[in-house]
Formats: sequence, C-alpha cells, structure tokens
Amino acid sequence: MLSEIFVEPFVDMVSAPDFLMQVLWEGLVSGILYALIALGFVLIYRSSRIFNFAQGIMVVFAALTLVGLHEAGVPAWVSVALTLGVMFVLAFVVERVVLRPLVGQPDIILFMATIGITLFLIGFGEIIFGGENKVMITEQLGIPTDSVVFEPFGGLLILEQKDIAAAAIAALLVIGLLLFLNKTRMGRAIRALGDDPQAAMSVGISLQTIWVLVWFIAGIIALVTGIAWGARAGVSFALEVIAYKALPVLMLGGLESISGAIVGGLMIGMLEKLFEIYWGQPLLGGNTETWFAFMLALVVLLFRPQGLFGERIIERV
Amino acid sequence: MNVHVQEDLSQHTSRADDGIAKGADLLKVENISLSFGGVKAITDISFDIKKGEIRAIIGPNGAGKTSMLNVINGFYFPQQGTITFRGEERRRARASETARDGIARTFQNIALFKGMSTLDNIMTGRITLQKRNLLWHALWKGPAEREEIEHREAVERIIDFLEIEHIRKTPVGRLPYGLQKRVELGRALAAEPALLLLDEPMAGMNLEEKADMSRFILDVNQQYGTTIALIEHDMGVVMDLSDRVVVLDYGKKIGDGTPDEVRNNPDVIDAYLGVPH
Amino acid sequence: MFYRTAGQFKTSYTADQALFPVRQDAVLLIVILAFAWIIFPLTASEFTFQTLLIPILIYSLAALGLNILTGYAGQLSLGTGAFMGVGAYACYKMVTLMPWMNPIVAILLSGVFSAGIGVVFGIPSLRIKGFYLAIATLAAQFFLVWLFEKWAWLYNYNASGAIQVPNLEMFGVYVSGPQAASFTQYYVVLAIVSLLTWICINLTRGRPGRTWKATRDMDIAAELIGIDLMRSKLTAFAVSSYIVGVAGALFVFMWRGAAEPNLFDIPLSFRILFIAIIGGLGSVLGNYLGAILIVGLPVVLGIVPEALGLEIKSATVEHLNVMIVGGLIIFFLIIEPHGLAQLWRLIREKLIIWPFPH
Repeated sequence: MLSEIFVEPFVDMVSAPDFLMQVLWEGLVSGILYALIALGFVLIYRSSRIFNFAQGIMVVFAALTLVGLHEAGVPAWVSVALTLGVMFVLAFVVERVVLRPLVGQPDIILFMATIGITLFLIGFGEIIFGGENKVMITEQLGIPTDSVVFEPFGGLLILEQKDIAAAAIAALLVIGLLLFLNKTRMGRAIRALGDDPQAAMSVGISLQTIWVLVWFIAGIIALVTGIAWGARAGVSFALEVIAYKALPVLMLGGLESISGAIVGGLMIGMLEKLFEIYWGQPLLGGNTETWFAFMLALVVLLFRPQGLFGERIIERV
Repeated sequence: MNVHVQEDLSQHTSRADDGIAKGADLLKVENISLSFGGVKAITDISFDIKKGEIRAIIGPNGAGKTSMLNVINGFYFPQQGTITFRGEERRRARASETARDGIARTFQNIALFKGMSTLDNIMTGRITLQKRNLLWHALWKGPAEREEIEHREAVERIIDFLEIEHIRKTPVGRLPYGLQKRVELGRALAAEPALLLLDEPMAGMNLEEKADMSRFILDVNQQYGTTIALIEHDMGVVMDLSDRVVVLDYGKKIGDGTPDEVRNNPDVIDAYLGVPH
Repeated sequence: MFYRTAGQFKTSYTADQALFPVRQDAVLLIVILAFAWIIFPLTASEFTFQTLLIPILIYSLAALGLNILTGYAGQLSLGTGAFMGVGAYACYKMVTLMPWMNPIVAILLSGVFSAGIGVVFGIPSLRIKGFYLAIATLAAQFFLVWLFEKWAWLYNYNASGAIQVPNLEMFGVYVSGPQAASFTQYYVVLAIVSLLTWICINLTRGRPGRTWKATRDMDIAAELIGIDLMRSKLTAFAVSSYIVGVAGALFVFMWRGAAEPNLFDIPLSFRILFIAIIGGLGSVLGNYLGAILIVGLPVVLGIVPEALGLEIKSATVEHLNVMIVGGLIIFFLIIEPHGLAQLWRLIREKLIIWPFPH
C-alpha cells in the first residue's frame, strides 16, 4: 500500500518520460488559462478591492458574443472588434449600475454584488445565445490548428499549435499588462487607486474612469481567455464552472500579485494534472481535478495564511 | 428623572479580592523589550503599578505607550522581560487569558462591536463571568435565563453609573464619538477587572466630555476600588487624576514618580520640548 | 394605530428580554402559526405542498444554518450544499443499516455527522479569514461531492449511484418514501424546523449569539475581552453544520425522495447563500422571507405568463428566473444590504408610529 502511494507513481513517471512531458504540457496549458482568469481578478482587486466573482462568466460571455456575431455573418476580426466593444459597454454598465451605488460598502457586500452580476449574465446569456455547445472560430481567427510532434527519448510528444499560440498570446498579454501598470500614467493611477482611494481621488484621479478602464481590460483578458479555452474545449456555460479553479490560484498567489497569479496558475495546472494521472486515476478512481487544487491551496494557506506571494498581515490595535 | 443612589459598589469587585493589599504591587513589568522586525518599540523598561492607584503613562507620540499597554494586555509578547500580575509571573499566554485573569482595557481607536447595541456591547464584557454552556442557552428557560438576568442587572448598574440609559438599545455605530468612548469604558468595567487599562480615554473630547470622563474614572477608582493605568496626553488631566506617573520616550523610561516629581524632571521637560538627547 | 406600543412598558428584565415584548408581535406570530399548523395543511393542494410549503420550510432551515455561521459569526461559507449532502447520506446509511430506528431520530442524528465534518473543515478558519476562508470552504464542497460519488458504500453500491428513500413508518403512518403523504411529511418538516428555529432564537439572543457577533465584528477586540476565538468559531461551525445537515436529510427524505451526488453541488450552496443574503444576514426571520422569495419566484414566473396569455418556453422561464435573482441580489445590496428582515423592521417601525409621521 505504502509503495503504491510513494514509490510506484514515480516509477511510472520515470519509465515513460515522454508521457510525463505530455502530462506536464497539458497541465501547463490549463495552468496558463487559470492564470489568465486569475489575472483578471488581480487587476480588479488591486484597483478597487473588489473580488470579482463574475470574471468566469465574463470569459464565457465574451466567447459567446464572439461566436454569436460570427454565426450571424460578421467576419472574424470584425467580430473581435465588436466583442471588445460589447465588453466595454458591459464594463460601463457594471460601473454605473452596480459599483457606483455601492462605493464604500464593506468588501463582502461588493463580493456578493459580483455574484449577482454572475447570475444575471448567466441568465441573460442563456436567453440570448442559447445553451448548446458552440465551436470557437479558431481557424477564422488565423490560429493554426495543426499539431507539432516531437520524439523525445524515442517516445511521442504532441503539442497542439493552438495551445502554443495560447501560451504565446498569454505571455504577451502579461508582459503588456506589466508594462502598462508600471510604465504608463494610467497604470500608475490604477495602482494608486488600489492603494488608497481617498488619496488618489484627492490628486485628481477619477474613480469612475479608472474603474471602467479596469473592468474593460479585465474584459479583454476575458476575451483572450475565452478564445484560447474555447478553441480547446468548445464554448459553453460549463466554462464558468472551470473558472472556479482560478480561486485556489489566487489563494496561492495572493490577491494582489500579477506574478503570483502566473506562477500560481502554472503550478496548480501542472500539479493537479500530475496528481490526477499518477495518483488519482490508479488509486482513487479518478476525477480528482475537481478538488485537488482547492485542497492544495488550503494546505498551503494553513502554513502561510498570506499565500506564497502575499504580504504578511500584521494586526494592529 | 435620574436619581443617583450612592451604593457601596465595592462589594461588586469580586475579583479584586485576591489577597493583595491596597498599596502593594498589583502589576510589575521588569526589563521589557519589544521589537517588530527591526524596529525596537520598547527597550528595557521596568515599573510597577500598585493596587488601588491611578497610574498615568505619558510621553511624546511614538514613545511606545500603546505598545506597553498591549504587552500588559497580552496582545504583544515581549522578546525579553517578565510580567508579574497579582504575584504570579505570566507564562506566554493567549490574549483571551489575560482578560480572564482580570485585566480589561479600552482602545485608542474605539473597538466596539458595531453590529450590536450598547446593552449588548457591555454585556459582552461579562463573557468571562458567564458560566452556562451552549446547551443551556439552547434551552433558554432555566439556568441560562437566570444567568442572563443576573448579568443584565450588573450591566444596568454600570449603565446607570455612566448615565447612558437613554441609548442602551441603540446600535453603537450610530452613537457620537464621545458616547462610544463611554460605552467602551462600560464594556471594560463590566468585566469587574482588577486592573483597568485606558488608552487615551479623553482623545477627541470637548471640555465638558472630558470633565464627565474624569469624573467617571475617579469614581471607578474610588467606588469600585479598581486599579487604573491610563495613557493620556492632556497634562492637566494627568496631573489632577493620577497618583503616580511613568514617562516614556523613544521606547525608554525617562521618568517615574508622583506628578510633581515628574513635572520637575529635566529629562521629561526636554523630551516634551523636543530637545534632542 | 394597530401597532401602538404606548402603554406597554416592562417592569422587569425578564419581561424586557422576552421573545415578543410587544404584544402585537406576539399576535402576529400566533396568526402565522395558526396558518402554518392548521389552515395551510388543511387547505393546500398536493402541488402547493410539493412546490411551495415543504421546500420553503426546508430551505429556510438550511439558510438559518448558514446564517449562524456567516451572518452571526462572520465566517463566509460556500460549502452549504455539500454539508446538506453529508446529512442526507448519513441519514440514508442509518435507516438502511438500522431499519428499526425511528425516522425522526435518524434525521436529527444525521446532523451530528454534518457537525463533525463541519468542525474539521472549520479548523482552517482559525488561521484563514475572509475571502480566503470562503475559497477553503469550496475545498470541502468539491471534495465532499466527489466523495459522494466515489465512495459506493454511501449509496449501498447501487448501480445508478443514486440513493432512493425507502418507505419508513412511524406509529403506523408512512413518513417517507413513495407511500408517504405530503400531508404527513409537511408536519414532520414543520415540527423539526420549528424546534430548530426556537433553539436558534435562544442561542442568538444569549451569550453564544453575542460571542459570535463579537467574533464577526472585531475579532481582535473580542479576544482581548476574553473570548476564546477558537471555541467561538468552531461552535459556530458545529451548530451551523448540524442544522444544515438536518436540512439536507429533510431535503432528501421529506421532499425529493431520491438524490444523486450532483444534487449537492455548488448551485445548491449558492441558492442557500442567496436566501440568507436576500433575507438578511444576522437574522432568523430573514431566512424565511428569503426562502419564500427564492422558492416562490419561479412558481410565480411560471404562472404569470399563462395568466397573461403569453407563450414562454419553460427553459426561458428558468433563465429569466436566474436573471431576476441576480438582479434582485444587486438591487437588495444597493437598497437594503441587511435584506428583507431589515425591510420588515423598517415597516414595523412605521406601523408603530402610524398614523403619525414621526
């Protein structure tokens, strides 16, 4: 029994290194997508201390809008532009209708408001787009759909090109975001607002403008995530549930750290895949990916309540 | 119509009966040093508080006064030094245990429970004195109800004493600052403490409110017999109310004695005038 | 005029701390109880029992359990559904392993298992707070639902993976299973819900309630006045999970009749959370009001279009329902974050003063 848990999985890993690499790659790709969703959370949290539960549904909504427009006959890249417009309108409406009336309320109230937004978008989305699974317009967007085949160690490793493209786009997005936040005036304003809203407003930074901007950027991230994920798994409301995985990522990476979101996402993606393939399926009946990430985050938090990257919270009286 | 009956309230100081004579050491801190990361908040401070006295702790801002109170309270653990309370040296204990030993306090920034009324807030002060467990409370009728009534009576005596009957059912979040401070004092008194720590009880008050609060503090000391340690910036209040004074500056003790002794101490004068030393 | 409190003054603390110090409140309660115990059961149709009366009571109880933990003690939990499941499966195992056991005793005992697991998953709350804790409760939620599916012993190795409620008798009357009458089941649910509600009222108005509220409002200050935070939080988890577990057993045994693991998944947790939020966190009454709204809304949405002569697909009604609940949550959070219970309190205050303006 002990050897089954502590020895055999590692033996399996080493004996088929190409398979191990495949598993790690699949985990990495999921990890990138979790990280992107976590990124949206971090952005909104840093600028407004709101824990935006609706990030997951925004991914779905963006993807559905894109596919829906294209089905209605709009050319692929025009659909992208229009979808971005829709996400902007969404950001604007959310700020006006939900965020503005709730300024100054405790965090938990704002969190629950975002749950309300999630429900509303789910119902609204189902009515407009219908609930059946849709196909992402991968080819129409120019994303290559072939695979690249490697033969490491005399074995077989297949990487989908769309996954590689997703990884590349995600990397560009992260770099772009980091540059934006750290090097531009708007980016500094966003960070200032997150640190101290009163002080930021007193130097003339407009709360409303920044919030609309931030939710819009989160919307852009949501669209990219929706495209990348939809290309792999089809577009449906099931994506919303997968977005829950971003939460343990945030627990590990801290709610405020972009690099934390990335590293946390990649770690969770790879570790949960490893666990499922080498322990979950042989020993536990499989399907452990529904809970492994959460348990892992829970254990880490017990030892480091601020997460791996968060700052130590000192309570003062 | 408020009729104040001067009761002999000293019979309610059940926990002051600890065998320690009035005038003997109630609390003694020796060689306390406290640091946070690289910052030394308190360096090698020793002083005592005698039973039945009002001891003021004063000093310029940032001198370490609140940190000292937090150490006495059990909220911070000093890296060095010992604390002896009621003749027993304190082992490293959880913050809730010092409360049960008989130390209560008020806070610089009010720490009332905003979701509850005045009455409920002061009732929470009785927590360490309430014995009936969860199952009795689930039933309510019987021992739990009797205990609640008994403690309600004690709390109402405190409400009378602090003259806050008219706001007893008001949620404390709605009260003006001065009244909130009074409620916080009530909560601390409800615990029937042997030692009461007051952190800037007069901060932000006008002249009239200060006069009221001074009266309450004196009454608590004289009628209940409670020993009080008090951080305060208003020198007039300090000189009038306290029996002895400790002066801190940059985490060190620079004066210790009666108000007159301290007032004439050249180090203290320098500290307040900002003369570097 | 009706709610005049003038002339009603209390001459003892006992009277002041009574449950209904104002006479009109007591009258109102008696009227409600008369409807609940006598009028509704005698006049309700099968449809009303199954779609309104029984589920409203069960959801109120589950929300009450969650409210103790989240509303009173301030520990946000997103795992309510899974804990209902623990209660349901515990009850199922008990009645199948010990068929001689009185069904009501089995239901009340099943909460104990929920409470135990609740305490275990509550231990992280000693180190983890706020949103992080909410995510930790999701660990319990996802893990337990996975367990319900994988651990076949729980559903007696049934090939379908589901549990079916057997016919159970008590004093010659069927209380559960296909043979049981809604009438009987309604009374069982009403009795249990009333008992647990009464207990919660007692707990929340005394020392336990104050301890929890202090933990919620400012835990550092609470600790410094002598509250043992560990005991406070863990008892909140225990009491809350007990109630939620019993609600789960009632959910399956007195209403649905059968259950699959995904019944207890995240959507159920959120539905209970919405009832608690819209009803009012930190209130007992609110849970009932919230349940009436959340259970009643889809029924109303189903009936209204027909009445107006409009054709709407039932799937669309379902989506509209989801949208409206989402909108309602936002609406309530903006207008009255303390929920329907607070709205009732405001109405009541106006009634007391009426017809004077102030």
